[in-house]
Amino acid sequence: MQIRDYVLRRLLILPVLIVGVSIIVFALTRIGGSPIGIYLSHEMSAEEVAELEARFHLDEPIPVQYVYWAGGVLSGDLGWSGVAAAPVTEVFPDKLAATMELAVASAIVAVTLGIGLGTFAGARRDRFPDHVTRVVSISGAAMPLFWFAILLLIVFWVYLGWFPIGRSDAQIFASIPHPTGLYTVDALIAGNLTAFRDAVWHLVLPALTLGYGATAIIARMMRSSLVEELQEDYVDAARAKGLPERLVLRRHARRNALIPTVTVIGLSFGFLLQGTVVAEIIFRWPGLGRWMADSVLRGDQATIMTYVLFTSVLFLVVNLVVDVIYAYLDRRVVLGT
Amino acid sequence: MTSAAVEPTPTAAPAASVIASVRDLRVHFRTKAGIVHAVDGVNFDIRNGETLGLVGETGCGKSVTARSFLQLVPMPPGIPVSGSILFRPRNPCPDCLGEGCSACDRTGRVSSPCPACSGEGCQHCDQTGLETIDLLDLPDQQLRDIRGDRIAMIFQDPGKALNPALSVRDQLGEVFFTHRSAELLDAAGIDPDTQSVTGRMIRRKANMRSRGVENLALAIPPLRDRRVALASAADGMVAAALAETQIPNPMSVMDRFPHELSGGMKQRVMIAQALACNPDLLIADEPTTALDVTVQARIIELISQLQERYRTAVLYISHDLSLVKRVCDRTAVMYAGQIVEVGDSDQIFHDPEHPYTQGLIEAIPSTNRERGRLEAIEGTVPELIEPESACRFAGRCPHTAPVCTTHDPVLEPIGEDRLVACFIHNPPATVPTEQLPRPDGRLL
Ligand SMILES: Nc1ncnc2c1ncn2[C@@H]1O[C@H](COP(=O)(O)OP(=O)(O)OP(=O)(O)O)[C@@H](O)[C@H]1O
Ligand code: SF4
Ligand SMILES: [Mg+2]
Ligand SMILES: [Zn+2]
Ligand SMILES: [Zn+2]
Repeated sequence: MQIRDYVLRRLLILPVLIVGVSIIVFALTRIGGSPIGIYLSHEMSAEEVAELEARFHLDEPIPVQYVYWAGGVLSGDLGWSGVAAAPVTEVFPDKLAATMELAVASAIVAVTLGIGLGTFAGARRDRFPDHVTRVVSISGAAMPLFWFAILLLIVFWVYLGWFPIGRSDAQIFASIPHPTGLYTVDALIAGNLTAFRDAVWHLVLPALTLGYGATAIIARMMRSSLVEELQEDYVDAARAKGLPERLVLRRHARRNALIPTVTVIGLSFGFLLQGTVVAEIIFRWPGLGRWMADSVLRGDQATIMTYVLFTSVLFLVVNLVVDVIYAYLDRRVVLGT
Repeated sequence: MTSAAVEPTPTAAPAASVIASVRDLRVHFRTKAGIVHAVDGVNFDIRNGETLGLVGETGCGKSVTARSFLQLVPMPPGIPVSGSILFRPRNPCPDCLGEGCSACDRTGRVSSPCPACSGEGCQHCDQTGLETIDLLDLPDQQLRDIRGDRIAMIFQDPGKALNPALSVRDQLGEVFFTHRSAELLDAAGIDPDTQSVTGRMIRRKANMRSRGVENLALAIPPLRDRRVALASAADGMVAAALAETQIPNPMSVMDRFPHELSGGMKQRVMIAQALACNPDLLIADEPTTALDVTVQARIIELISQLQERYRTAVLYISHDLSLVKRVCDRTAVMYAGQIVEVGDSDQIFHDPEHPYTQGLIEAIPSTNRERGRLEAIEGTVPELIEPESACRFAGRCPHTAPVCTTHDPVLEPIGEDRLVACFIHNPPATVPTEQLPRPDGRLL
């Protein structure tokens, strides 16, 4: 099967998966209790509450509630966020942009650093650089995210003052238009280097925090699969052709070592999304994660549903991309089976 | 080590007609159980254009010996203990420019004079006056120039020796980009000395030195045309190399990936790759063991044909004695990390002198052509971990005498063009007769 047909087929299945995920999430959320609480105040009478419930169809059975909710989503109504005191659709784009900027920045850190470190260590197996990388990556995988975040915060913000927290400097933020909501991109579009530097500087600490764990996992995987590939006959065959070691590594061993690593990259993107909650809270990053945390505490079900639905879709798409890259790297993969 | 003093290889052939000679090669491995003496004092010569068979039981050190030629033994765990592999590279004949004439014995290639003595003969060149290099003691760049160009290797399992992620075109093309970039530029109509920025970029491409960003630049029109010309020049060379191996439909094979080819076709691709630069020496480490019996015969015939045409010397490693008898001019028999007998194949197979060779040949099944069952010899191969000074075959030899367990026999000439390491044939002068093995009792 051609890669194009494969992608099309996977895209066609995507909506089915999304509906499935949304049913599960909806059911789980409703089991946790009625979402009515967030709309109530102490002055309301029992009749008023009943009237509200009827208005939001909360007096119907859960499956019927789901249909109303799904209908709303399809017509662009994601509900009312009690936490943001605004419709979810109104607040969502900005928060989403903030989280995506952070997630993509950390993913870039994790992928480049992870593959780089893994290659570096694997090619120097059991020598000093390998041992150092091992310590760095094991601690990255083992350290609790919140602890590492606080550590960075104390050292680089409190003591050294090298990097700020929050998302941007208010004055600089106001100085440029924000067509995308991704501040680094907005700054580049505006051609404002000061704003760009400010946006990047604010990204450093949360992106490092988030990226470290994934870097560690990717580096470990890359290292061990490279070590394995380097023992294959084709590597010696490449040397026997007269290729310099640099090309033996780059053209031959690394390419095959990337195959299992790519799968891990797809999975670690899921962890990375989870991590945004902690990183956003600690670094005061105004993204989906922080909003989500507040919403969970206050039972803001419209927001929770939106968040979970969105992250599931994102995760599915990322893994589709990963599968396509995988198929491209590993020519033996028979697509569609 | 208390082995006998190392003498220069006792060779029956004039050194000048020898393309490579292995001298006292010792490669050990550090393992949990101790130091394994995998190759322990190996000596033999490979002559110009001949096929030398290397036979011996599994684990006796054939592959380690073969890999040493190209420094492909993994270190660690390997330990390079001692020895040298002298190699006399051959260059295109100036009289016929590689076509083949009487001056070069129709090989199209001649050796160059030794740079140290300019042809007079000195210790560097073993008094031959011909350029001689030690393959075990080479600067990296020179080693890479030799690998794949002057000395090529075919591996046992073509399924593992081809990279699953690269097309045949890419894998074969690499050989030309590595060793024939000047010819490629020439075929693509690009001035190989061009100094312009774009010219340099194309040259870097031809040497596989382009980096990520450069590759983007090479995709834009002015450079793109030249890059395409370069690629099609390489394709031409790849197709020609594949055609040499009589692979059906070389053009379509080029675009395939290894898993889309049969075992026999994969080995043909390996052969095309190995012979691409017309090497002086081809090392074939059990090239047919992983193939179907029906395909084996055709692959062997192909190697012999190409070897004949290009006068390539071949070191042919195999378990299959009947095969070695058929295709090899001379045969070297290896046992537990040492060579025990070398000589003309006909002589060795009709009249083996070393007790181990005798046992081996007896074990060849006469009716079917299956692999010789070497286990037919009583006993097992000795531990190679820090062996005592003794004949390694002593535990299994029917002629074992006291001297065999206290001294190391060395390869010494017996008769014309024959070397044997056994006290039956070469009794040490200092040992009393009653401690020597009796020379009569032939195995039969
Ligand atoms: N990478 C290695 N690590 C440890 N020991 C090794 C290694 N490679 C080879 N050896 C040792 O060297 C010895 C010779 O191995 P080699 O592969 O040369 O045998 P061979 O004659 O080619 O056998 P076969 O016919 O099975 O291919 C073996 O006994 C093995 O113990
Ligand atoms: S030296 Fe002794 S033990 Fe070794 S092969 Fe000869 S007779 Fe046998
Ligand atoms: Mg072997
Ligand atoms: Zn000539
Ligand atoms: Zn000389």
